[in-house]
Amino acid sequence: MDPITLAIHATPAFVASAVEFVEATTIVLAVGVTRGWRAPLFGTLAAAATLAVIIATVGVAIVTIVPEQLLKGVVGALLLLFGLRWLRKAVLRFAGIVAIHDEELIYQREVAELRAQGLQRKEFDWIGFLVAYKAVLLEGTEVAFIVVAFGAAGGIALTAATVGAIAAGLFVIALGVALKQPLTMVPENWLKFGVGAMLCSFGVFWFSEALGMEWPGDAVSIPLIVLAFLAASWLAIRMLRALLPQGARVEARNV
Amino acid sequence: MFRSIWATLVGLLIEDGQLAIGALLALAITWALANTGGETAHEVVGWVLLALVLVLVVANLYRAGVGARARMSSAHR
Repeated sequence: MDPITLAIHATPAFVASAVEFVEATTIVLAVGVTRGWRAPLFGTLAAAATLAVIIATVGVAIVTIVPEQLLKGVVGALLLLFGLRWLRKAVLRFAGIVAIHDEELIYQREVAELRAQGLQRKEFDWIGFLVAYKAVLLEGTEVAFIVVAFGAAGGIALTAATVGAIAAGLFVIALGVALKQPLTMVPENWLKFGVGAMLCSFGVFWFSEALGMEWPGDAVSIPLIVLAFLAASWLAIRMLRALLPQGARVEARNV
Repeated sequence: MFRSIWATLVGLLIEDGQLAIGALLALAITWALANTGGETAHEVVGWVLLALVLVLVVANLYRAGVGARARMSSAHR
């Protein structure tokens, strides 16, 4: 596979994984800045090792044992369910109905909580280790799901999704190391909006293929489906702004 | 990890319950169409699913907007 084709196939997984890595990096940075870097780095490595074991056992078993059509159907349905949730929240945030996800606020809250717990300098910082381990494992599990979802077709798709996720991880970690502060400049809601549309589109594509549909031009249809979701979302944002011009800032669970 | 899975499930079924139910319904309709509609159905089943989901997204968000507006006006009273 040439690098350009690989880049095109890897982009959805790159963008989707970057969102998860930003969230994990915010927590690890908060722990490192507040309590020192040794424990959160060990926590991050331990979580990465746990994830590798989970992917190597469960992921490979799923991809090799489950028949391709069934896998596409199940993964398609899950992608659609998760994607719709992301898309809905992003649209509500753009319309000003739900507050924008604030990495700076999350970072400050985490720093305050960690400082309140205190630190014994002589002992290994188990709190720092566990907080980093949990954050990386949880967000990493979502990255693993994204890789399996975008790579459900196997072969090139799986390679591209894996490359995209690894590239996103390296990119976000490098950014975090360089800046040593929360990645507030990352347009997270825009990313979630795009990722939501992509997850929904892949969901519709895989599920229909599992039912025997042959899309015109095969994967070439995916950008068209993404465009349809973006158009519907844009329409929804306009509609919500007309309904509530001043916004609402209510909890997501209340709308 | 289990807490994350639980939070996602709660989010799906409670926070966005109607959206999840609507999506499952759309998937069920498409599956039924593909299994009963013959060869022609296989050619259009994806477009049907796409149309159903797009309508679902817009309708769900419209309903969310109306709900938020009602909450805002009751809070102002």
